[in-house]
Amino acid sequence: MIQLTEETKAGWCVVSVRGRADAESAEQLETALRAAVEHNSRVAADLSHLDYVSSAGLRAFIQTARAAESRQGEFAICSPTPSVRRVFDMSGLHQILKIQGGLPC
Amino acid sequence: MLTMLEEVVLLAVDERNGGLRSTREYSTAYGLVGAVFFDLALAGKIDTDTEEVQIIDTTPTGNATLDRVLAHMAARPHLKTVTAWIEEIFHERSDLEGEALASLIASGIIRHEKSKLLWIIDVERFPLVDNKPQQHVRLRLAQAILSDEIPETRDIMLVSIAEPCGLLPFVLSDDTIALRRTRIQLLSTLETISRKVSDAIINLESALRQSMTRVV
Repeated sequence: MIQLTEETKAGWCVVSVRGRADAESAEQLETALRAAVEHNSRVAADLSHLDYVSSAGLRAFIQTARAAESRQGEFAICSPTPSVRRVFDMSGLHQILKIQGGLPC
Repeated sequence: MLTMLEEVVLLAVDERNGGLRSTREYSTAYGLVGAVFFDLALAGKIDTDTEEVQIIDTTPTGNATLDRVLAHMAARPHLKTVTAWIEEIFHERSDLEGEALASLIASGIIRHEKSKLLWIIDVERFPLVDNKPQQHVRLRLAQAILSDEIPETRDIMLVSIAEPCGLLPFVLSDDTIALRRTRIQLLSTLETISRKVSDAIINLESALRQSMTRVV
């Protein structure tokens, strides 16, 4: 189960991601994030209410970053909870994704 | 579209003579198990987190190899971790390579040749009938490693399985591999499945070294 909301703050499109990013929700997550990246040059995924991320969820974030990169846009992962941050760190994703403690706006 | 398993096995076919190339026998066996798990993940049948594997959907994919492994997994729900499942399929000793070769033959990409060496030893070769699929896989692998851009999911998986299988030297020079080692390591650790495949190979090599030491 995942809940996605979108708002614009100081030039950033902020997509808030709540719940679980797993095989069940990964397609919905990637579709929403990629649409945000297509329509905005700066997109932040607010993960402060994301409880769980699986490999399928990580792939959604990686492919969104890929889409942003190909459009020369910015895509930032913001405020991950400690458990989600641990998964990003274990995967080495901090080396290819922009991950920050708070929102950029 | 070829499965990850077929792509990895196709990479191992020597384009000059149809021989099967592999530098690390046990590593390749583990790598092929990893490729099957990637195929199941791409088909939306399983998902993983940092340790455990979840079966999402047990309906058949239509691919005999994947469906056999999926049915095996569904029948043993007490096995939870990615590591346990890699070991389970590895020790099952199913001929994943042979099944992928049969599928590539059926698709008209390679053909099967049998001959005798010194009139006694059977020699099997799998010459390319259509070299485009292998070239496509080689190109994707090289691009994923040589570029600094984020690769597609399938290409990340391909690098992370080709590396432990020892297949990269058949696509890139040793110097290039050395130069891009950091990139290869980065791509090889992004996925839980490939991290656990690498761990399994390290554990096996360590056990083999210890048993050799005891013998000596």
